Amino acid sequence: MNCQRVRDLLPELLDPRAEAAAHGDVRAHLTACPECARELATLTATAAALDTMAPSHPSPRLRTNFYAMLAAEKQAAGGAFAAHPPPARSARAPLWRTLLTPLAGCALLAIAFYAGRQTTPAPLAADLQTRAELKKLQEQVNKMGTLVGYSLLQQQQGPANERLRGVLTAARAEAPSDKILDDLVSALAFDPSANVRLRALEALYPHADRDVVRAGILAALPREQNPLVQLELIDFVAAAEDSAAAPALQRISLDESTNRSVRDAAQRALARF
Amino acid sequence: MVERAVAPPPVDTATQPRSDHALMLAVRDGELDALGELFERHHGPLYGFLVKLTGDRTAAEDIAQVVFQRMLKYRHTYRDDGSFTAWMYHLARRCAADHFRRSNAAPHATDPAVLHAHADDRPHAAHHATVRDDHALLHAALARLDRDDREVLLLARFQELSFAEISGILECSVGAAKVRAHRALRALRDIYFNLQKEPAS
Ligand SMILES: [Zn+2]
Repeated sequence: MNCQRVRDLLPELLDPRAEAAAHGDVRAHLTACPECARELATLTATAAALDTMAPSHPSPRLRTNFYAMLAAEKQAAGGAFAAHPPPARSARAPLWRTLLTPLAGCALLAIAFYAGRQTTPAPLAADLQTRAELKKLQEQVNKMGTLVGYSLLQQQQGPANERLRGVLTAARAEAPSDKILDDLVSALAFDPSANVRLRALEALYPHADRDVVRAGILAALPREQNPLVQLELIDFVAAAEDSAAAPALQRISLDESTNRSVRDAAQRALARF
Repeated sequence: MVERAVAPPPVDTATQPRSDHALMLAVRDGELDALGELFERHHGPLYGFLVKLTGDRTAAEDIAQVVFQRMLKYRHTYRDDGSFTAWMYHLARRCAADHFRRSNAAPHATDPAVLHAHADDRPHAAHHATVRDDHALLHAALARLDRDDREVLLLARFQELSFAEISGILECSVGAAKVRAHRALRALRDIYFNLQKEPAS
């Protein structure tokens, strides 16, 4: 065994997962070759120094913040669990999930109720309103050259749960294409169901660094009316520390007709910039 | 939509503590309190990883917080055949990447959080280390290591992850993950030994 081959294998000897008896031929070489033995000694010293580095401990703030966050999420899940209906997965899913998943329209009602803002009085009225809104949105899209090719919009004639499925399928892509991101951004901007918009936003989180996503969020922020979605959007731009959102946040924080907690969140986000 | 038919292994909850995986499946299915147990088990090592990766205690705490936030947010994407630890470090890596992207864009000197963090880390920074203590040297060496090298080395050395899991986290093959971990150890060794030769300032 030559020295080069042995040196390539030395880190394997130091790997905590490696078996002690492995690489007998390398060990045999080491007893006869002082150069390679010295190489191993320096690597061993480095690994040992790494392994004995003093552990650092977080401040109590981390635990406090974690449990506050968990409590807030539990409250949100209890009050408007329909805002985040997970995809139907198996027979182990609780009954409410099986019942609610196909009823995204009802989810929208639950969101509106939770947020203290009754935007859709009844499913039938919601349906009419959706159709009117859709017509208006299609006119807007026709005016916006950049958003043509929006396939989800084409599906808006279908029920909300079908669009939700579209969003969830798109969200599953590990490395989504620009087309998928564009569809998600468009769903966020134009889908009449707050439930679909929330899921689209969730799916966009991991891709906050893409320009198309950033632009889409900035476009959605001033037009969003649902407080829950507004809060999520503000959370998004605050986490991304996107100062381009400042003017929109300013307007939200000053708008008397906006939900109190949304205005507060906008204020807090502004303070971070 | 793909249905996942794999059932989790039966767990005797009366006598044994639940596994990480069982707890995360419970979180996914609506038992949000189970995340508290996962936090207690894992926030220490996660924080340790992030401190060494960023060299910044405040940032490490912020990132750790975001990682647990995202576990809740993305709980529905946790897979029946998943590994909790691998998933956690996968999220942590992305959150850290967000952090690095932001801190590269932000002017450091004007950010009070960053100033605070620097003050916090002063005993560890090489140019302040009056005592040529091995730990300070190693911290300095880690800080000089290429970020990707630092990441793979920390995952391979500190965390109880298999190379199959590490390769999943890094989105590369098992062979590539090993090669990268080995190369990173050599690179750290070179920096560490060069620092030891430098005269004390
Ligand atoms: Zn040799």
